[in-house]
Amino acid sequence: MPILRAPKAIFLITLLLIIGLVITDHMTSPTLSATAAPSELGNACAPCGAPCK
Amino acid sequence: MALSSQPTLTSSLPVRREPLVLAALVIVWSLIAALVGLDTGESGIRLFALGTMLGVAFLAFSFGFASGWRLLLTTGNSMPMAAHFLLAALLASIFIPVTELQLGAHGAAAPLSWSLLIGAFAFGIGMQLANGCGSGVLFSFGGGSGRMLIALPAFVIGSVIGSMILPAVLDWGQLSPFLIGSDLGAFGRTGLNVGLLGGVAWLCWWLGHRRGFVFPRKLGIAVGIIAILCALVFVFAGHPWGITFGFTLWGAKLAQAGGIDMAGFAFWQWPGPARALEHSVLADNSSLMNIGMLIGATAWAALGGGLRKQEWPNQRQLLAAALGGIIMGVGARLAFGCNIGAFLGGTASGSMHGWIWFVMALAGSWVGIRLRPHFGF
Repeated sequence: MPILRAPKAIFLITLLLIIGLVITDHMTSPTLSATAAPSELGNACAPCGAPCK
Repeated sequence: MALSSQPTLTSSLPVRREPLVLAALVIVWSLIAALVGLDTGESGIRLFALGTMLGVAFLAFSFGFASGWRLLLTTGNSMPMAAHFLLAALLASIFIPVTELQLGAHGAAAPLSWSLLIGAFAFGIGMQLANGCGSGVLFSFGGGSGRMLIALPAFVIGSVIGSMILPAVLDWGQLSPFLIGSDLGAFGRTGLNVGLLGGVAWLCWWLGHRRGFVFPRKLGIAVGIIAILCALVFVFAGHPWGITFGFTLWGAKLAQAGGIDMAGFAFWQWPGPARALEHSVLADNSSLMNIGMLIGATAWAALGGGLRKQEWPNQRQLLAAALGGIIMGVGARLAFGCNIGAFLGGTASGSMHGWIWFVMALAGSWVGIRLRPHFGF
C-alpha cells in the first residue's frame, strides 16, 4: 500500500501501538500510589538502581 | 545544532496543521493523565505534563546533543557545547544546594567504573550513527522521523541487552561515586561546580567567538526554558530527569510478555528495577515522562505540519540508525544514562561520573563521526 511507504503512516500506527501497550500494561499491572524512580529503593548507588559495593 | 528534518520555530514554509492528529493526541493525553491521576494523583500528572512540555521544547528548538557535538568536532563551532554546559551550570545552581541542604530532592551520582568508561564511549559512537542521543531519538521519533522509527526500537533492544550485562561488567571494577567539592559545604560545593561548568561554557563560547561563530539567541532561549523545566522535574520527581531507564523498562516488559523471564536477570532483581518491572509503566518517572515527551513532540510536529514533511532516509542510513540505536542502548545502560541522565544530571549534581561520561562520549563521537561516511552520511 503506497500510504505505508510514508514515515507518517508507519509512525502513527507505531505510536498508537505504543499507547495501546502502555494502557494495557497499566490496566493489567499493580499500580503505586506515587510515581517512583529505581534509585529510591535499596542500597542504590546509581540512577538505574545499581547497588553500592 | 538544528536537526534539518525537524520543524523549527523559524520555518518559513506554509504551515499545514493536522487537526485530526492533534485532536487524537489531546484525547490520548487526557486519557493517560486521568489514569495516572487516579493512581498517583497530582504528582504523576505534573511529571507527565512536564515530559510533554519538554517534548515540545526540544522539538520546537531542535535542541539536540549529537549534532552539537558533531559541529564542534567537525567545524570547531563550540557554541552548541557552550549551551550544553550553560544548561548544566544553571541546573547545578539548583540541584547541589537543594541536595546539600536536604530540601527533599537529591542529585544523581554513580560509581566510577569500567562500565561507565566503556558505556559512555559506545554511546558516543552510537549517537553519531543514529543521528540523535537519548532525548534526540525520543523527540525526533515524536516528530515522525523515519530514521528514529528504526533507532528507537533498536535503542530499546540495546538497553535490555545492557541491563542483562551491566551487573557482570560492574564486577570488573568500580570506585564509589565521587562528589566534587564534597567537603566544602553547601555553598562552597555549589560555587565550585557552577564555576567549573560555567567556566567550560564560557571557554566554549570564547573559542567559538574567536573563530567567528555566534551564539544564537534562539539557543539561549531554549537553554532558559529547558533549564526551568528540568528544575521543575527535579523538584517534583525528587531527582534529575532521566530518559533511558524508561526505554529499558519498555523492552523488559515486552521481553517478559514474549516469554523471557527478565526477573531472572540480576539487574531486574535489584530493588528499584524489580519494583518498576512489577508495576505499571506509568508508575515509573522516566517511562511516564518519555510517553509525555512523545506526545508533546508529536503534537508540536502536527501543529507545524512536520509529520507530512518526513521522508525515509536511504537504506544505509537506516542500518546506521539500527546499529547506532543498539549501541546507544547498551552504552546508556552500562554508563548509567545518556546525555540527559548521565551528562546533564551527573555534572549538574557535581558528580564526577558526569564529567567522565562527557569525555568518553565525546571520544566516542569522534569515532562515530568517522564511521558516518561508510553509511552514506
